[in-house]
Formats: sequence, structure tokens, C-alpha cells
Amino acid sequence: MKNFSIATRQKQNVSILDIKGELDAHTASQLENALKSLIDEQNYAIVVNCSGLDYIASAGLGVFMAYIEDVRSLGGDIKLTNMNERVYNVFDLLGFPSLYDILEDEREALESFEN
Amino acid sequence: MLIESQEPDFVLNNLLLITMGKLLVPKGMILINQDSDHMYQISKIKGRNALEEGEVIKVEFPVDQLDCSVLHGNELPEITKKLGLGEDSVFFNLRTTNHHLGFLCLGPKGTKKPLTDGELEFIESLTIISSVAIANSRMFQELRLINRKLDRKVHDLNTLLELSKDFNMMVDRDEIARTFKFAMLGQMLIRTFFFVLDENGEKSMVADSGLKAKPSQKELQQMFELDDVFFCEDDHDCSFLEKNDIKLLIGLRFQNEKIAVVGVGAPANKQPYNNEQVNFLQSLGNLALLTIQKTYLLEERIEKQRMEEDLNLAKTIQQGLLPSPIPTIEGFDLAATNVSSYQVGGDYFDIVNTPDGGHLLAIADVTGKGVSASLLMANLQSMLHALAPIDISLSGATDSINDIIHENTPPDKFITFFWGKLSSDGKRFEYVNAGHNNPLLFRKGTEEPQELEEGGLILGAMSTIMPYESSTLEVQQGDILVFYTDGVTEAMNPEQTEEYETERLTRCLKENLHRSSEEIMNAVIDDIMEFSDGVQYDDITLMVLKVN
Repeated sequence: MKNFSIATRQKQNVSILDIKGELDAHTASQLENALKSLIDEQNYAIVVNCSGLDYIASAGLGVFMAYIEDVRSLGGDIKLTNMNERVYNVFDLLGFPSLYDILEDEREALESFEN
Repeated sequence: MLIESQEPDFVLNNLLLITMGKLLVPKGMILINQDSDHMYQISKIKGRNALEEGEVIKVEFPVDQLDCSVLHGNELPEITKKLGLGEDSVFFNLRTTNHHLGFLCLGPKGTKKPLTDGELEFIESLTIISSVAIANSRMFQELRLINRKLDRKVHDLNTLLELSKDFNMMVDRDEIARTFKFAMLGQMLIRTFFFVLDENGEKSMVADSGLKAKPSQKELQQMFELDDVFFCEDDHDCSFLEKNDIKLLIGLRFQNEKIAVVGVGAPANKQPYNNEQVNFLQSLGNLALLTIQKTYLLEERIEKQRMEEDLNLAKTIQQGLLPSPIPTIEGFDLAATNVSSYQVGGDYFDIVNTPDGGHLLAIADVTGKGVSASLLMANLQSMLHALAPIDISLSGATDSINDIIHENTPPDKFITFFWGKLSSDGKRFEYVNAGHNNPLLFRKGTEEPQELEEGGLILGAMSTIMPYESSTLEVQQGDILVFYTDGVTEAMNPEQTEEYETERLTRCLKENLHRSSEEIMNAVIDDIMEFSDGVQYDDITLMVLKVN
């Protein structure tokens, strides 16, 4: 099995997903399931903490694309934080920063949800 | 400082401020050429002026003076007026060896005094330095852009490479379609996506995202009829595409047949799709499609393998049930063979001794092929062997066999069955024919064979209402009995237009009656093989009994 894991935490009204390892074609469905169950439980304020994320492939990015609009239309958002430079470069190269809130750290994301 | 800066904006701003400050000029601007004749953008503007920063205006500097380093406003009154800088303004050409970049335009000094030669020289050298700096920073930016494009290309290729590896490990079609979807969404930055597959004429959506409605069968069909690369702004009458704001359709072909269609909505930057993106979409689509095709081939291979194993098992069962070697019966010349076909029919024959010193000869053909046929055959064989030691009549035994088969098999399973008992003294042959091809009896000295047809219905069709009847024949020296299954008479010629039939069999037998049982049998087999050109669809079973 590939080295990838997801853990969910709750801070105030915000759900935080800690993703670790390699997010690629094989592990993308795990992220999808995690996002799906958050949405099913009506948690629409979502922060994805990428501090443990070593690698992301297009399929991984696609999962974010597939759910962002659903979440936003329900009044929430998906914010990404704590990316290492290599991972950020991939997001940047594909034009994600124009679409997603990509923030330095979790605190910033939590604050931006408060406003 | 000007030279080191990589920001043209910074360079230009400073150039303007330095020159205006140094010469005490209250109005000035920098015009940057827009790569087309006479069009300039006001990049920087200082001092009161009706023009605004960022505005693009048409300024017709005389073309033949574009290689001069300084142009004087009072020689170009129209331009001076247009720029609102006042008479005596001066335009310093911003240029490199082969490029005209624009102008530093300065109004007259606050003191209204003309610029001294020294001041002109100073500004000229400053513009040269600034021009070089701007050219450098432009080059740098261009390089950065090219670099980024290159990075993007490398990333695209990496994605393709990585997915081809990932796909290689996948055998689940849903997983392949899902992975394709996510890779597409992430790579192209799109929200709306669908993937339709044509599986043996059945078109269905195997993956989608962001759709407002599903397409109807008619709409699916319409999509397959559009061009392989179809921009949806072109004419079409598929309302599904309209409703979901699909921008681009890509048809994918396998062995030149369009078997998949991919549709995508607008990318997040709302830009129309360019060639590179279309190419990438096609490549990734083809990769996914090939992987899906591969899963079908894999399944076929597994299925074929399973069938082979099934057939091998059937063959083993069948061969185990047939007597080997063929027993000998004193006073008779007996030959028998079963040539099983590739699919294994359900032919069976047997020779069993009875306690009273007689011999049972049986031949049968079970419906169906493969393992199911051979299992039913095994049933029949065990009944036969169980009944052989018990002294009951042939017809009574046939009744029982029929009832057991009928009760224990599905209604579509039958057995054509013939059996006969050769008495211990070898003079009498009592038989029952349950729907089997009539064995032929060639009496010594008579031309035409007699058919052994007495008996009843095939086994297993219905329970025994009418008892099977048996018939008894006297056998004499020189008589020849030939038993066979329908694989003999129904062998086909290569054109598949004619069967071998009883007539050919009888003719072949007649020509060979003088020979041994084995020779007769081989002659018939050879004749069938010649007739069918060696192609066999069913088991061929033949038994020849010659009275010595």
C-alpha cells in the first residue's frame, strides 16, 4: 500500500484534514471519501493541512476541483495550508492559487473562516 | 541601481523622476511602444496632464527619425500638442541596438530655458543605461515565461507517464475511469467533465463530475456523431452540451472505431482550449481507453483459460469412463473408438460382462458439451455398471434408467441410448434402442443392412409411461453390427452445406465388409475425415462387431 493517510480534526466550526504522504491516482479516492463524508455531515468549512504532504499528482488535485464548487455553493470553502515548496509548485503550475485559498498556516485559515 | 533592477516599472519610474528632478522639469512621461507602429502606452506620467497613466495612444513619430537619439518638440508640433507637454519639449529615444522601446518625453524646464548640451548628453546616457536595463528585464521576464511554460510541459508529460504506470496496475474499469476523471480535473483545472464509453453498442457514462443533468440515449448518440475534436461553440443540436456548458468534445478511437467521448467544461481561467490542451486531453483519453480495452482482453483471456480448463476436465472425465483397452469377446471381432472433438461432446460407449457370461454393449450420446455432458455421462456409466451384475430384463432396466435420468436432470438434458446383450453362447443379441441412431446389421449374404430401431423414447425426456420394448436377433457367423453416434452421420463438408449421412456410411461399410472390424472402423473414420477435411464439430464414436 502507498504511504498516504488522512486524519480529521475539528476546531470550532472548522473541519481540518491532515493529509500525509503521497496523494496520487491510487490514494486520491481516500481524499475523495474524506471530503464526501465531511460534506455529508454538513461540515462545509474545511481546511486541508498539507504539512505532511510529500507529493501530489494531478489526480489528487482533481479531487479538490471536483468538490470546491459544491462546498462553496453550500456556503463553505476548502482552504489549503502548510504546503511545502515542491507541492506548492505543482499547485501553482496548474493555476490553483487563482482558484483556491492557499495559506501559510492553519491559524490563518481559521481566522479567515471567522471573518 | 537601474541596471541591476529586473523590474521595468521601477527602472522607468526612476528614469522619469531622476531626469525631472535633475533638470527641474515639471511635466514628463514615458511612452512604451506597443509592438505596432505608432501605438504607445503611457507607462509613467508626471505633472499636470489630461492624459492618464496606462492609456494607449497613437503618436505618429516620423519613422525616419526613430533611430535618432533625441527628437525636439518644436519640430513636431502635432505630437507636442497631443502629449500636452508644451513647446520646447524633448523626446529621448529609448532604444537598444535593434529595438525601439519608446520615448522619455520631457516638457520644458520650469525656467523655460532650453536644455544645455551637457544636460542633453547626461539624459542621453541615462536613457541608454535605462534602455539596456529595460531590455534586460524584458528578456528576463520572457525567459521566466518560457521557463514556466517548459515546467508546465514537463509536468504534463510527467502526468502522462505517471498515469500510464498507474493504469498499468489497474484492472477495475471504474477505478480507471475515476482516476482519469480526477487527473483531468486537476490537470486542466476544470469542474465539468464526463466520459462516455461504447461497450458493444451500449453507450453509457462511466465517469462524470459537475453535470447538471445526465444525457439521454439520443444525446449520447449525437455526441458520437460529432467530429473527433469538436468545439461546442460550433453548430450542433445536442441540448445536453448546452445545458451543462460543455466546451469541448474529444472522440476517442480504438482500431479506428470511435468508442469513447470525453467532454469538458470551461477551465477555471475561462480561456478557450488551445491545441496543446486538446493534444493533452487526447493523449490522456487514449491512455485511459487503452487501459480499459486491456481489461476486456484480460477478462477474455481468463474466461478462455477457464473454458480450456473446463474442457480438459471434461476430456479427462470422458476418457476415464470409456473402456480401455477395448475388451475382447470370444468368437467375435470387436473394435471401438471415440474421437473426441475440441469441445468434448457427450459420447459414450461401453462393453460390460454380465454374471451369466454374456456381454452388454452400449453406446450413448448425452446432450450438451463440456463438463456438464461428461458428468451426465458419468451418471449413465455408473447406472450401467450397477445394473450389469443384476439379472433384470433389458427393457425393465431401461425403464428405470430413464426414470432416474428424468428425475435427476434438468428438462433440457437427454441421452440417446442404445444397449444390447450378447448371450453367453454368442447366438442371440437382445437390444433396446432409446432414441439413438439406429445401429446397422449387415447379414451375411444380404445387400442392405437392417436397422435396429426397436425400443422407445430418448432417456430423460419424460418419465416412463410406455415401457421400453426390447427385440432379440439371432446372430450368425459373418454378421456385422455397426454402432455409431450422430458425430458420424452429421459430420459436415468444409462448405458446411452437406452432412455425411447414413447413405455415405452404408456405402463405405459395404465396400469394407470383407475386412476386419478394426479395418472397417478405420476405413469409416478415414472416409469421414476426408469428407469433412479433418474439421470435427462433435465427438465421433464407432463400434464394429463382427461374428467369427
